[in-house]
Amino acid sequence: MNPMNEARTDKNADKNMDCAQVRMHFALLLYGELSFDEEEHVDAHLDGCALCRLELERQKALHAAFDEFAVEPPASLLRECRADLAAAMRQGLGPRAPKVHWWEGLRGFLGASALLRPAAAFALLLVGFVGARLLPSVGDGIFAGSIFTGANQAGLSRVSDVEAQPDGSVRIVVDQIQRRTITGGLDDQQIRTRLLDAVRDPNNPGLRADSVDLLSRRAQSAEIRSELAYLVVHDQNDGVRLKAMEGLKPWVTDPEVRVALSQALLGDANPGVRTQAIDLLIQGPAGNSAPNLDRATIGMLQQFVSQERNASVRQRAEKVLELMNASAEIY
Amino acid sequence: MLQRSAVALNSGLPADEAALIRAAQGGDQDAFAQLVYVYDQSVLKLAMNLLRSPEDARDVYQEAFLRVFRNLNNFRFDCSFHTWLYRIVTNLCLDQMRKRKVRREEPTVLTASDGPLDRMDSVQEERVEGDPQRHLFSGQLRTRIKSVLEGMTPRERMVFELRHYQGLRLRRIGEILGTTEEAAKNCLFRATQKMRAALGDFV
Repeated sequence: MNPMNEARTDKNADKNMDCAQVRMHFALLLYGELSFDEEEHVDAHLDGCALCRLELERQKALHAAFDEFAVEPPASLLRECRADLAAAMRQGLGPRAPKVHWWEGLRGFLGASALLRPAAAFALLLVGFVGARLLPSVGDGIFAGSIFTGANQAGLSRVSDVEAQPDGSVRIVVDQIQRRTITGGLDDQQIRTRLLDAVRDPNNPGLRADSVDLLSRRAQSAEIRSELAYLVVHDQNDGVRLKAMEGLKPWVTDPEVRVALSQALLGDANPGVRTQAIDLLIQGPAGNSAPNLDRATIGMLQQFVSQERNASVRQRAEKVLELMNASAEIY
Repeated sequence: MLQRSAVALNSGLPADEAALIRAAQGGDQDAFAQLVYVYDQSVLKLAMNLLRSPEDARDVYQEAFLRVFRNLNNFRFDCSFHTWLYRIVTNLCLDQMRKRKVRREEPTVLTASDGPLDRMDSVQEERVEGDPQRHLFSGQLRTRIKSVLEGMTPRERMVFELRHYQGLRLRRIGEILGTTEEAAKNCLFRATQKMRAALGDFV
């Protein structure tokens, strides 16, 4: 029985829920998990009960407090995990293929006896070791720049087919994968293009952050500045957005950069990013806090103060406006 | 020769997931890498939030994807790949949490080269440093939330995590955990009641 229903005494109670019953539904209401009818009853009650509306607001605040407790795994951990996985797969812990491969036959044969299992394990290990080191490489591999980001440069080999030949020999098809390394300066167009590709990789925030870091060193290029400004507004990862802002620090007077910072100030969900946006928008060209802010920036900060819910960030903006002898309110 | 993946690398979109899975089942490691890419961040986040330990989260990540890799040919499309993957991940996490309950481990503090480190410190916490009052409040709240999370059963903890932080619907959570939507709802209800009882005076 649903514990939420325990307090109900009869069917009429659904139509006229008392406060205790209604409040029992709040948690699921906030998750959007009440049925249509349940939600209707709760809404009907809330229309006429100020105390329950107040309690619902408290529940919403509690709900929001949980959000601050979420842990976002560091990008470095994701990279390490991918490298670990790649290493484990290189050791031959792959999927059972539909076809029976020669090594599985070997494993089956040796596995028939418990005494021979260590020998089977050793044989498989030896195959992996030799295969990974002796087989020739064939250029760009399937994992280049993908799952094995952060893994070492060792080649990956995999037997994909075996066939007995009429003359008694064995034909083995080996897929050989090798990552490719490109080295060059930041002014090298190939390097720059690869880095710009990397900052657009939606699945690897660590890679994006590192690439942003490198591109920031050439933010005098309008193309790179524009990309960093785009990331400030659109990247899904808080760390990457902050990193892109950091890279734009010397370029805060650039109109495109200011537009991006304004958008971050007024629209970013992360208080840290909004705080950084304030700091950069009030920064002068030489990195100092500008003694005089233009009207547009003051107006934007006033708008920000009127809508900002985070007290700490709001106070920061208010302090700036106070220093500028500007009102914190819009009249 | 390697088979060509049906989807370009780094597209990041699970638009034709079935094609990717079939390609991976046929031995296309490029396709498998794509599948990992699509889901691995959320898998790591789930493990990290549930286990509150980078080492344990790392173990779960690796074991989960290796199991997927080894057993991909047994996947018959009778549920979504996401559900199948999450079944593996949640089972591994539940096992780990149950072991912990028995061992009564204190997993949230580790010793780093520069001294003890609370693994639950997050970016958000650093950002309130400039405001002592808020910092204090936030610290107390975190301690209280930590305590109440530890007081939940592994199943309550799991349902709460999947619903609140992963945003999954209760029906999907029921499928993942091999139970009904109603049972998942009851579990979530108990978890939120515990949260409310412990944190009511904070809001």
